[in-house]
Amino acid sequence: MSLIGTSPERPDAFDKVTGGKAFPVNVKVPGMLHAKLLRSPYPHARILRIDTSAAEKLPGVKAVLVPSEVPKRKFTPVYFVPTDAGSMVQDMLIMSDTVRFAGQPVAAVAATSLRIAEQAIELIEVEYEELPTVFDPEEAMQPGAPQLHEHAPNNVAVNPVIGFGDLDKGFAEADYIFEGVYSSHRVHTCYMEPRVCIVDCDRQGNFTVHSSTQHLFGVREKLAYALEIPESKVRVIKAPYIGGGFGGKLDIGYIEPIAALLSRKTGRPVRIEQTRYEDFITTARHPIKVYLKTGVKKDGTFTARHARSILDTGAHATHGAEVINVHGVFGLLMTYRCPNSKWEGYTVYTNNMIGGGYRGYGSPQACFAAESQIDEICEQLKLDPIEFRRKNAWHAGEPHPMVPGVTLDSYAFDECLQSGAERIGWSQRKKADSGSGTKKRGMGFACQPLWVSGCVGFPDIYEHSGAIIKLNVDGTADLAIATMDIGSGQTTTLCQIAAEELGLPMEAVRMVQNSDTTTVPVDAPTHASRATYSAGNAVQAAARTVRERLLKVAGIMLDINPEQLAVANGRVSVKADPKRSLSVAEVVTRAESPFVQHGKNGPAPTTLEEKGTIIGVSSLAPKSNPSPVSVEFVEVEVDTETGQVQVLRVVYAHDLGKLIHRNGAEGQVEGGFQQGMGYALMENLLFDPVSGSCLAGDFLDYKIPTAVEMPRDIQSIFIESNEPSGPFGAKSLSEPCITVPAPAIANAIYNAIGVRIRELPITPEKILAALGKL
Amino acid sequence: MKTIELQINGSTHEVSIEADETLLQVLRNRLDLTGTKKGCDSGGCGCCSVQVDGKVVYSCMMYAAGAAGKAITTIEGLGGGGTALDPLQQAFIDAGAVQCGYCTCGMIMNASELLATTKNPGEDQIRHAIAGNLCRCTGYTKIVDAIKLAAARTGG
Repeated sequence: MSLIGTSPERPDAFDKVTGGKAFPVNVKVPGMLHAKLLRSPYPHARILRIDTSAAEKLPGVKAVLVPSEVPKRKFTPVYFVPTDAGSMVQDMLIMSDTVRFAGQPVAAVAATSLRIAEQAIELIEVEYEELPTVFDPEEAMQPGAPQLHEHAPNNVAVNPVIGFGDLDKGFAEADYIFEGVYSSHRVHTCYMEPRVCIVDCDRQGNFTVHSSTQHLFGVREKLAYALEIPESKVRVIKAPYIGGGFGGKLDIGYIEPIAALLSRKTGRPVRIEQTRYEDFITTARHPIKVYLKTGVKKDGTFTARHARSILDTGAHATHGAEVINVHGVFGLLMTYRCPNSKWEGYTVYTNNMIGGGYRGYGSPQACFAAESQIDEICEQLKLDPIEFRRKNAWHAGEPHPMVPGVTLDSYAFDECLQSGAERIGWSQRKKADSGSGTKKRGMGFACQPLWVSGCVGFPDIYEHSGAIIKLNVDGTADLAIATMDIGSGQTTTLCQIAAEELGLPMEAVRMVQNSDTTTVPVDAPTHASRATYSAGNAVQAAARTVRERLLKVAGIMLDINPEQLAVANGRVSVKADPKRSLSVAEVVTRAESPFVQHGKNGPAPTTLEEKGTIIGVSSLAPKSNPSPVSVEFVEVEVDTETGQVQVLRVVYAHDLGKLIHRNGAEGQVEGGFQQGMGYALMENLLFDPVSGSCLAGDFLDYKIPTAVEMPRDIQSIFIESNEPSGPFGAKSLSEPCITVPAPAIANAIYNAIGVRIRELPITPEKILAALGKL
Repeated sequence: MKTIELQINGSTHEVSIEADETLLQVLRNRLDLTGTKKGCDSGGCGCCSVQVDGKVVYSCMMYAAGAAGKAITTIEGLGGGGTALDPLQQAFIDAGAVQCGYCTCGMIMNASELLATTKNPGEDQIRHAIAGNLCRCTGYTKIVDAIKLAAARTGG
């Protein structure tokens, strides 16, 4: 293998450093109108009357849309599930006359300019009847609390309960029982490109859509469902670049269906771009409060674990119906071996903003609880925290604890623990709070022992990909696939996998720009750490078909059995006699030539067998769902006078099966740490406790780590366990990178100053209060 | 509407604008210079960074009228255009400092001012210089690497 594990130049890099043209935010369509949403100032209200007459009279206004005009079929906006999936909750309308969070759209205007649209929404008069509100999910579950939806008594949208073994027996067998409450807060993905869409409806009711999205086919399905039209009436065009997603663009927003209805009304394309404030109140990671009780033997063996998780899903269930399960199952129940376990999840409606997808999808909240508590157990029982985890861990070769029929074929937890510990110098770790002076250092670590490479084995979640690869007469290949590159480098790694399989140089494989839902196979979203593994498998399968046909034509040309041929560096050659060779360009030219090919040796007739474009198509779901493993060690310095925490060093060890693109993989780790550290220490999407309004309008209010706060030293260790079902042995990487930083930092803070903070984010105020200095 | 003249990347553009239009709006919406991105429209992310008379400004925080008569440089003007690249642009490619790419142009415009004024910036200087430019993909590691690489290549 020549390309795998190296860092070839990203095909999109040149354009991105010279102007970055191909983002959805740059798309313009002739005749396009601009629309703006009027949003409710109240978190819970009934709309009694809307008067749009003044807005409609404003010159330049082309259409106004109000709730009475939208289709009445309720839907879930989540892309990766069938819209009517039984596991999800269909509780949303495009616009409703009941408002359930501050910021819910109540009307929209399309006009010839954004300025006019902005003026027009100010002219709409809405009369509201305010309703009682509830913002705390545990209060919302109490009898007598304001009810948000008729179908959900006590505001509980879903309530999964999963368990096995005998919990009472397990706790009776325990030598020690630990209990703690671990809570997390609301944070935003902060993709830098806003959510934006352009929807164009023709006179026959066909919609063409551009959207900043993580899922091409999801936009088609959800939009068609919400509009109550056949899916084939919607064509979604793939943007070559998306300016970040991180899970925040995994559902149809209000904007796509509203733009669609305005376009149908006006007969013109309609563009909606969200402001940063609107983005902040569109999706966020759910706050989850975890009550965690664990029984252990003296030697650290788990005997019983019980957890209750309360998730604040806000005004609608959407992702909250699925995040709760991923959180409970992958974050709490199954991360380690424990014979007696029970977990209860509550996804609870409140008058807060709607929660959404965010990298990790419930696992960061769980990992903070579980890995913090393990640290507490080890500290109190004086057990080695590395040995503790090893003792309770899964092992390669065992059945996957969650996915039926799947074995943990590759699973290198031990190597991650060991190599990470060695690199950070774990043996040098001092006892908790043993430093002197006002600035104290500490080390900690956390693990994500079980995770996914896509969604094979899970009910109700799409999991297949498909690719088309076509060779050209100049020896290049075009790869078409619906997989969105949201920045994490899917275009690069998928081209790399194709190039490797086809024996072509990296630069000879190009990603087709602007594919659309009518031209490429259906693909699940870029989510669940799945693209390299799942889409990579589809690309490899298509490339194999192409290679087979390439060698067949070359075999006819060289008068040799194709099995005796190999292709590398753009040439097909006889294995036993490499001097007998043809360039890929020569073979493809032959296949594409007329019945008489005119070459340098004069006219030569071609055969029917040689003829035809060399093309390969795939559409498949992977055979397995291999688990990556990750361990992160950090060293922090805590200023006990100011409460400030600085992360000094990070060592991240991850079993990813096989490294495909080294630089890209490191980028996932480094960027994941930025988001994880922000979650741990500083980011917090705050809301006014009375009005329910979001207090963050921009990045001056909502602080994310800059280059100054970030640690200078982030080291990635990639363990290659060679997953047999993955492309060239690869499995997944992205999400564990963001899951482990918060508990690793919390554990390091404990090691530095001897106080345990169980509520994120760990702000200077909380540290000073814990130290008794506030 | 009023008409102003803007000097952008060495060319003069006559453009009719509303009095309160920002430089960002004029660059993107009236002149199709879409390399300059809008990330927050409130001076908090740096995606819209351009240079005005050699100084980095958030173009969302500057009225276009206020930029009249000044030399405006956007990413499209860096490196002289065409296939030639500024050393920073090449270094961002080589160091793998680009992921989604949405912050990239603003980041490069900012780093370009730093390298124009500081011959051999240290790591802290680089990090403080780009602290007004947010990136959510990279954790900044490879962006800092790229700026160091460009500084070294241009003679330190």
